[in-house]
Amino acid sequence: MLKLTAVEAGYDLLQVLWGVDLHVEEGEFVAILGPNGAGKTTTLRSIAGFVPPIHGSVTFRGKELRGTLPHQVSRIGIGYVSESLNLFPSMSVYENLLVGAYTVKDKSAVAATMDTVFELFPRLLERKDQLAGTLSGGERKMLAIGRGLMPRPSLLLVDEPSLGLAPIPTLATFEALKTLRERGMTILLVEQNVNTTLRIVDRAYVLEQGRVVLEGTGDELLGNTHVQEAYLGI
Amino acid sequence: MTTTPAAAPTNLRRVPLAKRFLTFTWLTVGLAIAILVFYTFVQPSIVVDTLVTGGMWALLAAGLALVFGVMNIPNFAHGEFFMIGSLTAFFVFSPLQDAMFNDPAGTGLLKIVAPFPGMIAALIVGFAVGAVLEVILFRPLRKRSRDQWVMNTFLLTAGVSVVLINGDRLIFGNDFRGATRYWDVRPISILGTSVSVDRIAVFVIAMVTILLFSAFLLRTRTGRAMRAVAQDEAGAQMAGISLNRIFVLTMGLSCALAALAGASLLWLYPSYPDVGLQPLYLAWYVVILAGLGNVQGAIVGAFIVSLIQTLTVTYVGLDWIDVVPTLFIILILLFKPSGLFGSEVKGVWEQ
Repeated sequence: MLKLTAVEAGYDLLQVLWGVDLHVEEGEFVAILGPNGAGKTTTLRSIAGFVPPIHGSVTFRGKELRGTLPHQVSRIGIGYVSESLNLFPSMSVYENLLVGAYTVKDKSAVAATMDTVFELFPRLLERKDQLAGTLSGGERKMLAIGRGLMPRPSLLLVDEPSLGLAPIPTLATFEALKTLRERGMTILLVEQNVNTTLRIVDRAYVLEQGRVVLEGTGDELLGNTHVQEAYLGI
Repeated sequence: MTTTPAAAPTNLRRVPLAKRFLTFTWLTVGLAIAILVFYTFVQPSIVVDTLVTGGMWALLAAGLALVFGVMNIPNFAHGEFFMIGSLTAFFVFSPLQDAMFNDPAGTGLLKIVAPFPGMIAALIVGFAVGAVLEVILFRPLRKRSRDQWVMNTFLLTAGVSVVLINGDRLIFGNDFRGATRYWDVRPISILGTSVSVDRIAVFVIAMVTILLFSAFLLRTRTGRAMRAVAQDEAGAQMAGISLNRIFVLTMGLSCALAALAGASLLWLYPSYPDVGLQPLYLAWYVVILAGLGNVQGAIVGAFIVSLIQTLTVTYVGLDWIDVVPTLFIILILLFKPSGLFGSEVKGVWEQ
């Protein structure tokens, strides 16, 4: 479904990705793991169109994404939940979700998707009319994921949902991602929380210094000595 | 903005929310309302004048605030759209006026609807020129670099202002082009003051437009997208909103409102190359008073500035009309730098 071939990308004079190869198949739950500065976020940003690759190719369902603007990426069915969430702080939860559904013309479809989001995150329903800027950290993540789901994407990119969250909201977020996956959503997740992530994903890539150094199923990587030493502290 | 740790402008003041509101905003708004109510009984003409001019400043200021909020452009060419609007209205209205003169016994219908084609034409021309400016000036600049954006666009709009003023002078000359009145009807008596129909019409047009404009921003899909872009550009793009499309619409809409103000006030401000300068400064007073980028605040602020102006003219003298509002702005900047209604500087990108 999604395929990155030898992607190189970066910011101005600083190149971050030095040839990233990865692929995500329909219905898969895939994670990108790695230390700070390895290029995990940049990988997602280059798929979402915010950091256009310098070299290499990103294809989605066989279509080349290089040169595609962020809003066009969203329109072809890739939802992106960024690290900083990029919510609209002076809009209510409801309005944030409505803006998320900007590209959906059919009102009943919007209402139906919103119901699924509220069912997935009942907290958001309780806070429906509250301004996004006044939500707690966990609620903001829920809202960002909810907004990402509103255009009914076929692939969801999620950047560090556990960042800055206490253990309980983190688990709730992972649970929600698991539920989504069970319903057939394809998810590409970036995480630092290696242990939990490897237990819920199908496959994962380990990114170090802008390159993929390891890949395998969750269990394979949990048993890998490099992963155990560098990330799990065993 | 609160989602990003780097959102610096929000932390400028750390006064508790309740205290902040009580001490300044509501005090000022309350004072304004009290003065209005008081003068309704003492001197109704002040109320009428305040509402009529306030409506027009609101049209101008709302557009200025919108462009600053959504595009981060301090538009110093905004007054020239006032000029473009009055010029357009003049060229559309005068043939109709001539037709009425030549045929005094003609249908009453023409007398009633004659001013409207000019206003509609001003809306269209204003929108078109604004949209073209965005496409040929701001878009290439945005593509090239967003460093020092506010400063660069300020210089760019100041340049556009000079070009438009002198372009007008070059093509149409230094003449005043106006109309003595839009509706040749007797003044109507309101609250004991006689008010010309033109003034009432201006007020009604301003109110209806502001109402439609607010409804557009708050209730429609595109209006919501505009607010989304103002609050978080990246987030808006993630939702599939095309920034270029929103920018063209925002600039066009803002300029259309300014042009409509110019067209509606043709009988008060005859079209002249730099007729837009005074309205521009007033619109800036309002926007600074209300808080940059705050559209709803700008609408309320317009009436406050208009009230100050009217009171100045009545009690201090016409010469002071720009002095007193300026003093008021200086006081606001000293005591509440983000404006009366600005809890934070909205729409400015996190640096």
